[in-house]
Amino acid sequence: MLAAITKVVEINIRMILHPIFRKGGFLLSFLILFFTGKTATAQLNITGKPGLIYVPSASFNPDGTFIFGGNYNPKKYSFRRNNRNSENTYFINLTLLKRFEIGLNLTRSNGVGKISGVGDRQLDIKYQLFKEKTIMPSIAIILSAPFSINNSFTTNALMATKSLKISEQLVADVSLGYGSPYYILRDESEKSNSNIFANMKLKEKKDLPYRYLSGPLGGVSLRYKKNAGIMFEWDSQNFNIGAYGTLFKKWTIQAGLLNFDQITFGTSYSLNLKTLPKRLKNADENY
Amino acid sequence: MLTKITKLALTALLSILFLQVKGQSELSENKRASLWRNFENVTLDSIKGRAIYEQRLDRNPLYGLLEMRKALRDSSVIEYLPMFQGVILGQYKLGNTIRFRSLPDEDRKLQRQRFFQEPKRYKFDFWLQPIFAANFGNRMKPIQSNTSILLQTQFHLWQGLVLNAGILFPITNDLDNRPKIIRPAPFFLNQFYASGKHFFSASLGYFYNDQYGFNFQYRNADLSLPLSFGFEGSLTGKYNYPRGGIYAGPIDQLLAIADISYRLNRPDVTLKLSGGQYLWKDRGVRFEFIRQFTNVEIGLYAMKTKNGSTAGFNFAIPIPPGKIIQGAKARFRTTDEFRWEYSYTRGFQIGERYRTGYQLDQKLRQYHVNYLNSQR
Repeated sequence: MLAAITKVVEINIRMILHPIFRKGGFLLSFLILFFTGKTATAQLNITGKPGLIYVPSASFNPDGTFIFGGNYNPKKYSFRRNNRNSENTYFINLTLLKRFEIGLNLTRSNGVGKISGVGDRQLDIKYQLFKEKTIMPSIAIILSAPFSINNSFTTNALMATKSLKISEQLVADVSLGYGSPYYILRDESEKSNSNIFANMKLKEKKDLPYRYLSGPLGGVSLRYKKNAGIMFEWDSQNFNIGAYGTLFKKWTIQAGLLNFDQITFGTSYSLNLKTLPKRLKNADENY
Repeated sequence: MLTKITKLALTALLSILFLQVKGQSELSENKRASLWRNFENVTLDSIKGRAIYEQRLDRNPLYGLLEMRKALRDSSVIEYLPMFQGVILGQYKLGNTIRFRSLPDEDRKLQRQRFFQEPKRYKFDFWLQPIFAANFGNRMKPIQSNTSILLQTQFHLWQGLVLNAGILFPITNDLDNRPKIIRPAPFFLNQFYASGKHFFSASLGYFYNDQYGFNFQYRNADLSLPLSFGFEGSLTGKYNYPRGGIYAGPIDQLLAIADISYRLNRPDVTLKLSGGQYLWKDRGVRFEFIRQFTNVEIGLYAMKTKNGSTAGFNFAIPIPPGKIIQGAKARFRTTDEFRWEYSYTRGFQIGERYRTGYQLDQKLRQYHVNYLNSQR
């Protein structure tokens, strides 16, 4: 089954890449140069955090990993203008320290014109409380910065993730956790937003049109090495399935079916800011 | 006959081998020559085993240190002394680990004498520097920005003293209603001075972010110890270029900021606490967390002042591709450093400041020996 899915992903990628390959050697060689390197990448969820489709995990990328990308969220499951407009989320994610990660995302509703403004910006932090050991899973806490005046998908969750080796190549990353049903909203207009710690109010997610990560949640990502995987998750509201493939160790393409109903898809690209550039490596060798 | 053929074959083989060896060494000679062109104001002191040099191409001084060693191919050189604006920052020894030693003042003075004997020790260096200021979130115009490209250069007038000048080409401006005219880029004198672990920077002229006046910075920093502290003071006023001239308002801004920084060894994180008076008479404190990566620096900050409280992030990156054309006497390149800061709030003048060419603490932490060692 996995082979079949990998094949489908591969065919889709080929279709996407077709015009690039057709344009000729120069672009191709540039792409090869751009895509080669050693960076381990975890699959990212809708907000750009290592995880499944909606569900984040407690996994961490290596220190210095910088990932950018975007995801499409369909109309029925959108957070910003739920049931009215689909949306795109653009994100960057940086493993700033071995156990500390920051994520920034920007969500824009599709087809609303200028009334949308630039979009909702959100800052999330993630801290690893325990590293994964033989029996112990990795445990991490994820929090959305409380000073936003318009958080679309606040993540306040405690997650545990354990990688189970099924065979040499096949690994199941199992994540389980709990998303807080509460979130902090700052009741503030951007015109008087001069104090980012003022007017914080505790709100319940059940009052929102769409509850993101509110209650028990979890999922499994069954992956073939670090190249491709299939995902099953319970996001606290719905059951979702998805698949992803990582090309050249850096470029991930993913898609998911939300609640067996509408499709979400996205892509991300990963770099490592600690990697020594070739010029420095060369200068340090054979002098 | 057979011997003749063998001899011929042997000669052919040897000449091919010789050609290859010659080719290889020529190639590496070319490479060394090309590396050599990255440096300026170089002095080789074979008695003391020193290479004293300046490298303006890269933010990260590790490029200069390692490439100088490679370009030299001279094992008698054991100490590397990088300079900034003609002033030696310190003495580095390259081994399995890099070791740092502060420099006696006499050595810095010697370098000054050399500069006067040969004032052409610097290239004509031109570089492209982008500037981007933006407001996000206005409902009617989500991104209001002021973007320009600067063609900049520097003239070295004295040890440590440079004149910064250039031309500004506007690209977008819907941030303020000033005209989009090609105008002079920030134009100012800067004197950098070092004595032991004391570093000074004084600037006079027209700076970035529409402020002109005088700026002074002092920093006490041993480039091998974690703790450093500094002070910055300035008197400035607003300026801009309306059509057909320059407008300079009264010098009415006093900026006075003190800071203390502590650098953790692993990972490369600097924790910085600063406070004082910022522009528009706003007073407060700022806490910053700075991580130095190989080419990139990323900072997170939070601040609280009379005008409000905010948080955000900043980064410093080199703009690729770096050098574009480089000869022995002139060079055209992209900037070694582009800095940008995002603040979560806008329009409340919380802890605002302006930029001169460089900040002493930003410049000096790049030369910290632990930062250089952690990259290898």
